Amino acid sequence: MSTKHTKAADRFIANKAQEVWHNQTLRFVRDKRDNMAMQLPEWETLRETAHQIKMHTITHLDHYLNEFSMHAEANGVLVHWAKDADEHNQIVYSILQSHGVKKLVKSKSMLTEECHLNPFLIEKGIDVVESDLGERILQLMHKAPSHIVMPAIHLKRQDVGRLFETKLNTEKDNSDPTYLTQAARVHLRQEFLTAGAAMTGANFGVASTGDVVVCTNEGNADMGTALSPLHIISMGMEKVIPDLKSLAVFIRLLARSATGQPVTAYTSHYRKPREGSEMHLVIVDNGRSNMLGNEDHLQTLKCIRCGACMNTCPVYRRSGGYSYTYFIPGPIGINLGMSRSPEKYSDNLSACSLCYSCNNVCPVKIDLADQIYKWRQKLDSFGKADPAKKNLSVGMAFLFKRPVLFQTGLKMAPVINRMPRFFVYNGLNDWGKGREMPHFAIHSFAALWKKGKISGANQKKKNAES
Amino acid sequence: MQSRKEELLERIRTKIRVTCDMPDLLIDSITFPDRVAQFKVMLQAVGGEAIELVQGENMQELICSRFPESKIIASNLPEISFATINPDQVDDPHELAYIDLAIIRGEIGVAENACIWIPQMMKERVVCFIAEYLVVLLERSALVNNMHEAYEQISFHDKEFGVFISGPSKTADIEQALVIGAHGAKGVLVILT
Amino acid sequence: MKVGLFIPCYVNAVYPEVGAATYKLLDYLGVDVDYPLKQTCCGQPMANAGFEDKAIPMAEQFDQLFESYDYVVGPSASCVAFVREHHPDLLKKTGHRCHTAHAIYEICEFLHDVVQMDKLPGTFPHKVSIHNSCHGVRELHLSSASELNIPPFSKIKDLLSLMDGIEIFEPAQVDECCGFGGMFSVEEPSVSVCMGQDKLRNHMQTGAEYITGADSSCLMHMQGIAERERLPIKFIHVTQILASGL
Repeated sequence: MSTKHTKAADRFIANKAQEVWHNQTLRFVRDKRDNMAMQLPEWETLRETAHQIKMHTITHLDHYLNEFSMHAEANGVLVHWAKDADEHNQIVYSILQSHGVKKLVKSKSMLTEECHLNPFLIEKGIDVVESDLGERILQLMHKAPSHIVMPAIHLKRQDVGRLFETKLNTEKDNSDPTYLTQAARVHLRQEFLTAGAAMTGANFGVASTGDVVVCTNEGNADMGTALSPLHIISMGMEKVIPDLKSLAVFIRLLARSATGQPVTAYTSHYRKPREGSEMHLVIVDNGRSNMLGNEDHLQTLKCIRCGACMNTCPVYRRSGGYSYTYFIPGPIGINLGMSRSPEKYSDNLSACSLCYSCNNVCPVKIDLADQIYKWRQKLDSFGKADPAKKNLSVGMAFLFKRPVLFQTGLKMAPVINRMPRFFVYNGLNDWGKGREMPHFAIHSFAALWKKGKISGANQKKKNAES
Repeated sequence: MQSRKEELLERIRTKIRVTCDMPDLLIDSITFPDRVAQFKVMLQAVGGEAIELVQGENMQELICSRFPESKIIASNLPEISFATINPDQVDDPHELAYIDLAIIRGEIGVAENACIWIPQMMKERVVCFIAEYLVVLLERSALVNNMHEAYEQISFHDKEFGVFISGPSKTADIEQALVIGAHGAKGVLVILT
Repeated sequence: MKVGLFIPCYVNAVYPEVGAATYKLLDYLGVDVDYPLKQTCCGQPMANAGFEDKAIPMAEQFDQLFESYDYVVGPSASCVAFVREHHPDLLKKTGHRCHTAHAIYEICEFLHDVVQMDKLPGTFPHKVSIHNSCHGVRELHLSSASELNIPPFSKIKDLLSLMDGIEIFEPAQVDECCGFGGMFSVEEPSVSVCMGQDKLRNHMQTGAEYITGADSSCLMHMQGIAERERLPIKFIHVTQILASGL
């Protein structure tokens, strides 16, 4: 009874020091988030409002996308529509090609990860430079992010130090984060100054104005777009919201939920192309419209990619982002992966104890745990149910449907208590890995009841009176 | 032929099963009896600093005293006469690559999170991001309580770009250790006038 | 008031004393308590594992057995939550209306909200650490969830406070999951045990002699780890403390 996630989690936990650090560090981010949430009396109202705005917007998505794109076009933005990842990548490449761009600096975008844009462009000969520090570290390592907000959270400073020694010629054995960040600043400043185009994602698209809003702490989105003559925005179609009033709600929730900051350092509103430059907006479907048609899982489209569900998830914290088979890990990743391809990504469904903490931290109130429960129910229908779990469930159902047999089982169970350890604790007993078995009672509650051994003072009194 | 846009919008229309109403956005939100004090506390918490210009104090002298090392100073503000480069008068934003200090004006300050609304009021906005240090001039009377109030009031000037800046550029991407000065300003000083 | 006593399958088999304590508490209140002998399981283990359909006969059986009672009361937050949250949907699939979802209460909820118990004889001169179980907190709202900005409350703490001499503590990360999670505990044993070890450490750091809570399943999981690692901590269901003076 194990999944790819189970096995990868075993490997992660085997490095105990790493697991402890990862768990505690992300739990600390959750605590910082709590601290922010508790300081705002209106916190729960904000969450409820954000949920309702998103439900309204995604269920009127055609209307808002049309309004948004009309305003963007009126502002002089060139709007493109991509039905899938391939089309998105082709559009981006053709824009770069028509401008003769050799080097592209990117700020963080989970959508371009989803579309595998970087390898596509690199193969075409474009020099693609990630500019978010965490993303740049991973790019230099040829690795993927393990968290959507803190992409390099699985790495230790020494890992980065060693990487920068070879890639950026930093001092040997110097892994001080300030020193390494300064080295990256100097290195990336040159990349910004020599790039032919800048690419950003979009945290929000404001329908009433056409604004594309991007939130960063590092300032990398603005550094890139304020210098280069070409700005390309890659935006998932679910990112649109009605107006600036709605935006205020989300901006108040986003950073508080994500990192426990009151707001990100930069909240940039790109409305018109910069003088002498072009601004292109690629609006991407890539499976999102399909999710609209699935009422059980519609709510994943509300996600604002804050990562709070990962930071609170006791399983994610103890198994790491790479233990999941979808590129987005944690509770939201389990659900997004299932929406993309249930056959391909069902291994992640085991990574949940149904503790429901994710539901409570989600700033837009996605019913993450409920959706995981629902996906589990569907596994059997496409042949992905674990046979051992199925047998166990069938067996339990057989027993529980038969009260008499169940009573017999209760009588027999204590036999296990007296079995030799070898029979009980072997490789087949997953419970016994790290835990002793429960001790079955010699007389079950039902047996005691039948024997009249269950009693209370009042009842005794009544019996005496009668 | 149907455009890709029309095709995707039509696809969305066929998928939508239920529709939900837009909620009321009148949220009873946090306010502060002393917005100046709250703004200062928040700016400090995010790694910046706010000081109040006292009557009779010379702003330029104040800035010079705080940034004595700065050689290349960028500003297009008429009251800043000691600027060495004007972001309105460069042909290319790359000319602003190596500035030590930029002095700009903000329009709205937000007490709950130390955000300052900075609409682009210069030819090259890179000045706001590329300077090693940033000074923002802000009127005390332009402080609002929260982002709802801020978004009610923001305006864009002709360049149609605006940014909320809250403190200096920062990252915690290496082991969650906070480092100030990732790509943008290493320090933000707000002078409340 | 006719109360149907719901003793979940594993409590029946492993912790009959928890059932007995629950009975004592209800009997103390003077309510008419009955234990339908044909009860087995609410169906949660199969459903959480992804075999909800296998749980439908259990839901039908449960509803038939308990539909005639004014209240159904059981000593397990997780099982009660399953009946309340999932049985209506399960029964809808067979065209039945669920009668028990609105009548079922976890014993602490029942004592706190329905009976509004404000005194209880007995002393328990020990230090206890409350285990706030996930389904107790986030489904039944036995206490305010740590993620939410709502006024703090704890029904278990309120009830335990009625005992003389008791010292009540709560662990750091007050309602983080212990890692039981039904079949999760055997499908992801490494993560499950790791969560349990961390939870035990937080409980033990309070200096408590006992870990207590409304879910024997969480206690069973933590007890299994504590026994394996020979940790000096005892486990007791909240009903056993509350009934100790009866």
